[in-house]
Amino acid sequence: MSTDTDTGAVLNVESGSRRAELVRLFLQPAAAVVLVGGVLIWAFSTELDALEVVTLNATTLLRTTWEHVLITAAVTVLVVVVAIPLGVVLTRRWARRIAPIFVGIATIGQAAPAIGVIVLWFLLTQQEGLWAAAIPLTFVSLLPVLRNTMVGIQQVDPALVDAGRGIGMSSFTVLRRVELPLAVPLILAGLRTSLVLAVGTATLALFVNGGGLGFIIDTGYKIARTPVLLTGATLAVGLALIVDWLGALAERYLGPKGLR
Amino acid sequence: MTLWEFVGDRWSRLAIEAYQHASVVIQCTLIAAVIGILIGVAVYRSPLGSIVATALASTVLTIPSFALLGLLIPVLGLGVAPTVTVLVLYALLPIVRNTIVGLGGVDAAVTDAARGIGMNRVAVLTRVELRLAWPAILAGMRVSTQMLMGIAAIAAYAKGPGLGTEIFSGLNRAGAANATNQALAGTIGVIVLALVVDGLYLIIARLTTSRGIRG
Amino acid sequence: MAEPSVAIELDEVTKRYPGQREPAVDGFTMSINPGEITIFVGPSGCGKTTTMRMINRLIEPTSGRITIGGEDTLSLNPDELRRRIGYAIQQAGLFPHQTVAQNVGVVPGLLGWSKAKIAERVDEMLSLVGLDPGEFAGRYPRQLSGGQQQRVGVARALAADPPVLLMDEPFGAVDPITRGNLQDELMRLQAELHKTIVFVTHDFDEAVKLGDRIAVLGDRSTILQYDTPEAILANPADDTVAGFVGAGASLKQLTLMRVRDIEMAQAVTATEDESPATVRQRIEAEGRRYALILDKRRRPLRWVHFRQLTGSSMAGIGRPVGDQVSVQSTLQDALEAMLTEGGDAVVTGNRGEYVGTVQLDTVVTRIRELREEHAS
Repeated sequence: MSTDTDTGAVLNVESGSRRAELVRLFLQPAAAVVLVGGVLIWAFSTELDALEVVTLNATTLLRTTWEHVLITAAVTVLVVVVAIPLGVVLTRRWARRIAPIFVGIATIGQAAPAIGVIVLWFLLTQQEGLWAAAIPLTFVSLLPVLRNTMVGIQQVDPALVDAGRGIGMSSFTVLRRVELPLAVPLILAGLRTSLVLAVGTATLALFVNGGGLGFIIDTGYKIARTPVLLTGATLAVGLALIVDWLGALAERYLGPKGLR
Repeated sequence: MTLWEFVGDRWSRLAIEAYQHASVVIQCTLIAAVIGILIGVAVYRSPLGSIVATALASTVLTIPSFALLGLLIPVLGLGVAPTVTVLVLYALLPIVRNTIVGLGGVDAAVTDAARGIGMNRVAVLTRVELRLAWPAILAGMRVSTQMLMGIAAIAAYAKGPGLGTEIFSGLNRAGAANATNQALAGTIGVIVLALVVDGLYLIIARLTTSRGIRG
Repeated sequence: MAEPSVAIELDEVTKRYPGQREPAVDGFTMSINPGEITIFVGPSGCGKTTTMRMINRLIEPTSGRITIGGEDTLSLNPDELRRRIGYAIQQAGLFPHQTVAQNVGVVPGLLGWSKAKIAERVDEMLSLVGLDPGEFAGRYPRQLSGGQQQRVGVARALAADPPVLLMDEPFGAVDPITRGNLQDELMRLQAELHKTIVFVTHDFDEAVKLGDRIAVLGDRSTILQYDTPEAILANPADDTVAGFVGAGASLKQLTLMRVRDIEMAQAVTATEDESPATVRQRIEAEGRRYALILDKRRRPLRWVHFRQLTGSSMAGIGRPVGDQVSVQSTLQDALEAMLTEGGDAVVTGNRGEYVGTVQLDTVVTRIRELREEHAS
């Protein structure tokens, strides 16, 4: 499949129009707070039966939320540690030939159903818990950062690389001081997409006993209690909105100043 | 039993599930395309409308699909209804966005010329603007379809149709014979479907894009 | 402060790209004089940029030898070599994510200078290229105009005080007026710094204006002619060079010569307090028709014809002197003044005082002499 046209279409959707982004920057955290606050108030103000109380208590909710954050963080760290160096290496001239292989693998990772990858990893390794969820989810969330790192470096004006070499920077210095800083905005955009994928798919960690808010949703479904189901789902939505918002903040404020 | 033997053994069931998987994804994409294009056409001339629609679409896109599924189960129950709703909702977003971007990107001189030679609003929209925006809309649909392939697998959790059934079944029967084969068949099946449909998109794009604007 | 100027020698330098039958640069041999601006000029694709880029080894020569100040460039680490060679390119190539100060300070930083020394140097360089450090140091490139970016590009190239400066169409992307200013600026800098500059352009007029020597290059970077601008204009080596020099070679010659380089004539002068009769006598004695009236500080005021000298006072008679030229003006300016004035051009000195006149005949003779000189 052609990754070029793919990139265009996805980037289009990811970047969004600037003003819409600005609107989201203000309204999204507000929506998250209102949503989560509203559902929590509603859930705790209704009469909870014995089964519901087992899940709907502050300790369990805090624990699962914390687990969810941990999984998301673990996936993010793994994505950054794997995808950015890989993206850098694949843009080096000597690696141009093998680049399509890795991009192909990452594209398949993106096309693979997250649930399938998690389940397979579990069945093959027999591992459970946080890392059993984080490792397969990294595979699923890798592509945006990998692709944007590569595109970000490739789109750096060749004249700037030439200028850097021409005034005596080594190729590594050019990478560190010119190419990477200029690729940062795109890498951050990719990271935001990866973050959203990670926080979303982290709801599936429960299937390998990784915990997270998926656990609350699953419990509510199994014991057929709407307040539990809704609380879990809403917390997951709220967390995703906040994480995406943090990604938006990073995109806005962590990029090189001269480019903003 | 190897994966090959397993697939050969359960071929008829896997084929039906694959067909259902593809069918629900494609149908939902088509429903979403109709709704999404209508929304896009409704808002693209108003800057405020475009901003709201785009912001809303991008925000909803960040919602975890498993959480949305959970939110819909109490309302819609199990099976096809929540699956279709979730899939259509997610598919809408890239399509709405790309429709707005595509229609907004049509050169004003072209629409002006179309009005100038006597086309009315509807004719300009259907014969000029939508034709020119089509590649962008189709690209949006392609992204939607890719996304739905994975989400549809999760929908099996709420007893939705498709290859996700194999994955969850494999998980539930962990340790039993063929559990891994089931999960593998389901996962690889989705990947293959995704790649095949993606290839179809390239062909459709080639066949339906006016030769004058083909890149 | 500056290191002594160095010469660059290129000896049978050749560049072949794999898979191409013809070499891109074929046996290029040239001595580049220390402290001069040498221009490589030629049509696009002729290999002039490739040749220049081999000097700082951005392109490695396939064969041949290049020495800078007697030192073989191939014996040095390319990155260290480039830190000792200034490099300025079209559209400046400033790093957009770095401030002006960071851009200018890059090479000193690579060379390990102290922060304080770099900061001092950055201010010095910005002032040198005519940008106020207080105003510009903290700005980002996109907050600058094209001309300002180009100045920063030159400041960056000069920051580590390299003896050699390579410039690849540095003024190619700015508007003509800004380009003219930048060229003047470069000439002013060079008068001060005496760098060995290799300058690539496809604009022959730019080459004539800036170059101490011009190399007109043809396909595969063959040297069609390598000489001073005066010599190339007066006597193009062949039809290709003549075609490149273009129409109006003699007019271009005029831009290269200054009024001080030619013999000036003297007009009959008079002051306002003299009696018209005396002045008239003087004019007739010299066999002329006009006299130039000067003020008390000997600045030219008006031309008077001897027939106008009939009244009792010099006040208010005659035709005011319009266009005048200075001794630094080019002969082109002088010709322009002659055409607007309809006669000899008045030449003034540094304080505006009259020093002589330029006559059309003198200019014509000088051009003819030049042609004969270079024809031999």
